[in-house]
Amino acid sequence: MSVTIDSPDQLPAPYRSTGATSRAFRVLRRKPSALLGGGIIVFIAFVALAAPVLAPYPAQGRGLADVPARDLPPSSLHWFGTDHLGRDVLSRVIFGARPALGVSLAVVVLAVLVGVPLGMIAGYRGGWLDEALMRVTDIFLAFPPLLLAMVISALLGASLLHAAIALVISWWPWYARLARTVTQSLKHEPFIDAARVFGVREPLILTRHVLRNATTPILVQATVDAGTVILAVGALAFLGLAAQPPTPDWGLMVADGRTTVITEWWISMFPGLAIFTLVLGFNLLGDVLRDVLDPRSAGR
Amino acid sequence: MSRWVVRRLLTSLLTLFFITTITFALARVVPSNPAVVYIGPLARPAEIARVTKELGLDRPLYVQYVDYMRDLVHGNWGTSLATKQPVLGGIASRLPATLELILVAMAMAVAVGIPLGVLAAHRKGKAADTGARVGAVVGISMPVFWLGLLLQVLASQWLNILPPTSRQSLDVAVLHPVTKITGFLLVDALVTGDWSGLQDAATHILLPAITLAAYPAALVTRMTRAAMLDVLGQDYVRTARTFGLGERLVLWQLALRNAIPSTLTVVGLSLAYLLTGSFFVEIVFDWPGIGQYATNALLNLDYPAIMGITILGATAFLVINFVVDVLQARLDPRVRLQ
Repeated sequence: MSVTIDSPDQLPAPYRSTGATSRAFRVLRRKPSALLGGGIIVFIAFVALAAPVLAPYPAQGRGLADVPARDLPPSSLHWFGTDHLGRDVLSRVIFGARPALGVSLAVVVLAVLVGVPLGMIAGYRGGWLDEALMRVTDIFLAFPPLLLAMVISALLGASLLHAAIALVISWWPWYARLARTVTQSLKHEPFIDAARVFGVREPLILTRHVLRNATTPILVQATVDAGTVILAVGALAFLGLAAQPPTPDWGLMVADGRTTVITEWWISMFPGLAIFTLVLGFNLLGDVLRDVLDPRSAGR
Repeated sequence: MSRWVVRRLLTSLLTLFFITTITFALARVVPSNPAVVYIGPLARPAEIARVTKELGLDRPLYVQYVDYMRDLVHGNWGTSLATKQPVLGGIASRLPATLELILVAMAMAVAVGIPLGVLAAHRKGKAADTGARVGAVVGISMPVFWLGLLLQVLASQWLNILPPTSRQSLDVAVLHPVTKITGFLLVDALVTGDWSGLQDAATHILLPAITLAAYPAALVTRMTRAAMLDVLGQDYVRTARTFGLGERLVLWQLALRNAIPSTLTVVGLSLAYLLTGSFFVEIVFDWPGIGQYATNALLNLDYPAIMGITILGATAFLVINFVVDVLQARLDPRVRLQ
């Protein structure tokens, strides 16, 4: 869930200045929680890339069953135990890093690519275009979080791709709003006025001047949102509305062990722990980034 | 104020109209055939043709749309394809269970979050503050469905009690059921003086409510802390302290009163989260509420039920936002509704 900002004067000053990115990196290095968060993300990204090498049973990680070895508790052979089809849970968790990172990254990037240009044009032009965009986003934002994504994914037919599409559809309005607010605060800055006076065309003003100054707040928002998107992907999968078996998806794996969680706790607990860790990483990093860019909230 | 209310109501109605239209469109452009869903996987072509006619799916789309909207306004939300029962009745019969869960969870979140936030702000930088901040980021990062299962495992392994799933024990439900008045088990048992029923209901709601409360409790803690830090730095607080007012009075009366409006916004946001968060808790704890109904509808492509749930969710969300805005204007004279 993001905070809605509706007018430029609600924006903290640094959102309008340049150089925030380099300042962010300087402060980040001194913040232990940011280091921890970044470390978690880098580690899980590494695990995702090296999955075939790291997983003790790569074929099982991809979905190959070994039924005689089913429901084994954690042991030296299977650190995280095995699931109902005898697959090594550790290998599944390692391979599960791929859809988790891949889908959430794709969702955030696509939502930014759809929302930001619309928001920038609306904020810069104003008038009926702006009004129309705001009313459209109002409708999208009138759904309780996740409900719209659940409905779209179910109606399209549950799959990882459709869940991603559903999440993009329910996420872009946030970026459109953010880009619009930033653009509105920038459009009367002297350097933009100057560019206009010198006859620079609108597309160039938007990309060269507005976008460049809007990048930092959008990047920060994207980092903060990444954790929420991972939770959303996991939640959809848990309901059976995203990835389908035998995809090694963390949310799906939690759902797989749900009914037997008291006796075979390892089937659900380890994949859930993986989701929690990755989300924690993004939240730790995002909180510090937000503080750096918004000194009013620093140290809170 | 009254002009604002009227305008807000009108825009809310317009938004609802668009939402129903979008949901209708979504439900009709999808590849799945509702008639097949209605009959089941073994549908024969002749049967499909008959049911298509019966459900009115062979009529032009705009006729179906006008009919649907007219029925909606008249309180006829269609018939569920899966249960073959009216959607509105199905939702209404499950609503009390979900509302009870949400309200108890929200009460827990506020009861934990506000004191914790005040304490953290008061002891800024100290161990209590660090603890509260770590707790908050952990609470925000936990997948709700996983937390529910985790609590079940912990309760069964450590506390040596099996997690009570569902709303009440079987023997209570069958042998001496709580007299149904409101549908809220806790309230009904209390009003009728059914102490064993009350105890049974309370033990059953404990774990699901804690699960659901974790995320909003974290949000409330964060927001209360931030708002209190803002307030504690202001002149009037310093003045109160120099006049020798007790720290307890300064903190819990003078400062908290001005921190409450920000907290209220978060409570509103959290309620919206609880609407969908309860879906997962209901599945994990076998809680017979809206969430189970909704999940079944989604998985079975039961489109009348899906549309009903969507409209209900959107309406609840609009109402919550409306109430939060009004309350905020009440509590903070600087907020003006226009």
